[in-house]
Amino acid sequence: MSSDLVSKSGVATAPTVSAAEIKRRIENARDPQLFASLNGHHLLGIEGMKRPVIESLLERANQFADLPKGEVLTHLKGKTVFNLFFENSTRTRVSFDLAARKIGASVVNVPVSTSSIKKGESLLDTATTLNAMHPDILVIRHQNSGASLLLSRHVDASIVNAGDGRHEHPTQALLDALTIKRRLGDIAGLKIAICGDIANSRVARSNIHLLATLGAEIRLVSPATLLPRGIEDMGIATYHDMMEGIEGVDIVMLLRLQTERMQGTETPSQREFFHLFGLNKEKLAMAAPNALIMHPGPMNRGVEIDSALADDHERSLITMQVDMGVAVRMACLEAVAAQLDQNNKEGSSA
Amino acid sequence: MTTVFFDQIHVCDPSSGFDDIASVVVKDGVIADMGAPQKIGPAPKDATVIKAEGAVLAPGLVDMRVQSRNPGYAHQESPTSLAKAAGAGGITAMVCLPNTNPVLDNPDSLAVLMAGNRLHASDRDDQTATPKIYAYGAATTGLEDQAMAELGLLAEAGAVGFTNATKPIADSLIMRRIMDYAAMLDKPIIQHAEDVSLARDGEMNESENSTRLGLKGIPAEAEEIMVARDLALARLTGCRYHVAHISTARAIDLIRQAKNDGLSVTCDTAPPYFALNDIAVMAYDTRFRLSPPLRSEEDRQAVLAGIADGTIDCIASDHAPQDRDSKLLPFGVAATGASGLETLLPLVMGLYHQGVISLMRVFELTSSVPATLLDLEGGTLTIGAAADLVVIAPDRGWQIRGDAFHSLSHATPFEGQPVQGKVLSTWVNGQMIYKDGA
Repeated sequence: MSSDLVSKSGVATAPTVSAAEIKRRIENARDPQLFASLNGHHLLGIEGMKRPVIESLLERANQFADLPKGEVLTHLKGKTVFNLFFENSTRTRVSFDLAARKIGASVVNVPVSTSSIKKGESLLDTATTLNAMHPDILVIRHQNSGASLLLSRHVDASIVNAGDGRHEHPTQALLDALTIKRRLGDIAGLKIAICGDIANSRVARSNIHLLATLGAEIRLVSPATLLPRGIEDMGIATYHDMMEGIEGVDIVMLLRLQTERMQGTETPSQREFFHLFGLNKEKLAMAAPNALIMHPGPMNRGVEIDSALADDHERSLITMQVDMGVAVRMACLEAVAAQLDQNNKEGSSA
Repeated sequence: MTTVFFDQIHVCDPSSGFDDIASVVVKDGVIADMGAPQKIGPAPKDATVIKAEGAVLAPGLVDMRVQSRNPGYAHQESPTSLAKAAGAGGITAMVCLPNTNPVLDNPDSLAVLMAGNRLHASDRDDQTATPKIYAYGAATTGLEDQAMAELGLLAEAGAVGFTNATKPIADSLIMRRIMDYAAMLDKPIIQHAEDVSLARDGEMNESENSTRLGLKGIPAEAEEIMVARDLALARLTGCRYHVAHISTARAIDLIRQAKNDGLSVTCDTAPPYFALNDIAVMAYDTRFRLSPPLRSEEDRQAVLAGIADGTIDCIASDHAPQDRDSKLLPFGVAATGASGLETLLPLVMGLYHQGVISLMRVFELTSSVPATLLDLEGGTLTIGAAADLVVIAPDRGWQIRGDAFHSLSHATPFEGQPVQGKVLSTWVNGQMIYKDGA
């Protein structure tokens, strides 16, 4: 199902055809078989995901990214997506909401007041209740690692992990990869430094698995207190000196300091963190010429990144990341829905 | 009382080293005679005769680490379910932790536990005897690590040692005082050895696996540090010190060294720590959420070596029954612990079948040594001793299934595991409290 929207290098060419024609091509490209190798009918994490599956999702997302503004697809017509966010989130929840609507699904944003949730106690009860309303897809974000896997064992719907504790945030890694692909082409061979709070970051974990699978050279730059034990055993180079760590890299990927998940002893002050690990012009000069900057947001300006640098559209991919998020989530929703349909078909014919 | 005659059975008595075919006469609840079949002769006239081909008769297990949940948490384990589970596990005596409600920090509470478990047990429909129940007293009031509990009064009420149960005695000054005092009373201190600040918010063993899973790590050093501090205080005070469920290589090394130095130091471990490692956690299965956490393969090997060379003195069930809801949670917030009474013997028998230890050593580790350590009745088949016995089929295979447990808690990290070694019957004071298949 190679699409002429994507060049060999993976970079999208500017659409020269009509909006209606693009939409028609996306419709025709629909292929439920494509995602047959997705792990079950859930999207729980990147670890263990096969390279062809990742590439299929990215290719499909790349098509969705070119969907003209205002166009709405009907692929998931009749499907219901529940957004279940146990942690506060604006951009991810809105992005999933928009993605679901643009691909034709109905969306229910389940209000979860964190104050009524005592440390995840009612997670399974909530899920069981929602399951009785027969959603097709449950998008879940939860403060505990492994929560989405737990849920996937107790509900019929497809689970899409929108972030579980410090574990994984698969759609963020996919949207980061799509952003890189559309800007630079092939990911294989790129040097990418992931910087900051690795220990508490699910974004870092998903990105490490995904970028490594696609053949990038990954470096981690972090204070010793925010580098989790044994990560070197995963075959990744680690640095405590940021200048050294980002020397010659094509992309500097910054992470948010997860102060809410910290225990108070990881870094002496935000000022010191910025001095040692915050990205500014001087440090960026060590990277490859025209190296690009990424950040999953929300940013702490003056902590992880110099404010002016964050707004430098020549170098910063930060707003493009947000843009790609919707397309990636459309592809993920389509994939898990197709897999769920196929499972149900096999189930009923067996 | 009736007479029971065990006819020509393989007798294994770690207290005397007797390991041969023998006949055993039990009369009035005690072992009346034991020896070679030709010496003992035929069964007395009125005796109940027990004949079991290929079976082994040994002293009943003495389990030195059990959370009874009574009084206070009967939905997790009732006195009846506790007694039945112990019987099915071949356990004839158990020592309960003081983390009940009320906490066993005063002699009245201790009396409630000892009496309560016996009282309810006598209400059981079959009217049989029950395993012997002992208890540790709380080392600190309310287990809060702020003030020494009434150790003297607790000792008089029957406390066999002192502990903060599932939490360590963390404050060094309080520990020093408690050790001084316990040495005066000649009672051991049982420690859950974990540096609380280093282990704060920890969810599993700190390793590459915790990093992959995004779970907060508890480094092995948390155990090592606490054991090192406690050994220094044991040296200072002369207190008998016992590390519960030891799980790390370096802590075991420290104990080995302390024993060489002549300190009065002992330790136990539990089956998860010699049979499993932290890779088991990889699917966030809360049956593997234990405290201390499952450790690395190197640590597991060190536990095996410690069992083999005698650094580890005994093996306890570490029975920590949890209700279903406490385990149906994300890994990090699920309750720690597992149901252990009914799997202790077959799992330790696994070490015998793997050639790690002898059959005699199985019963040293689980019966005679803990009985001696805490000065309890049991752990011996000498003539005149209480007839607390277990009869097992050492080679019989079966599969561990939590839903077949007598315990109210069905959560076991050994779910589905095939094991070898089955309890055929369990006897307390010469009365059968459990019979396989009955």
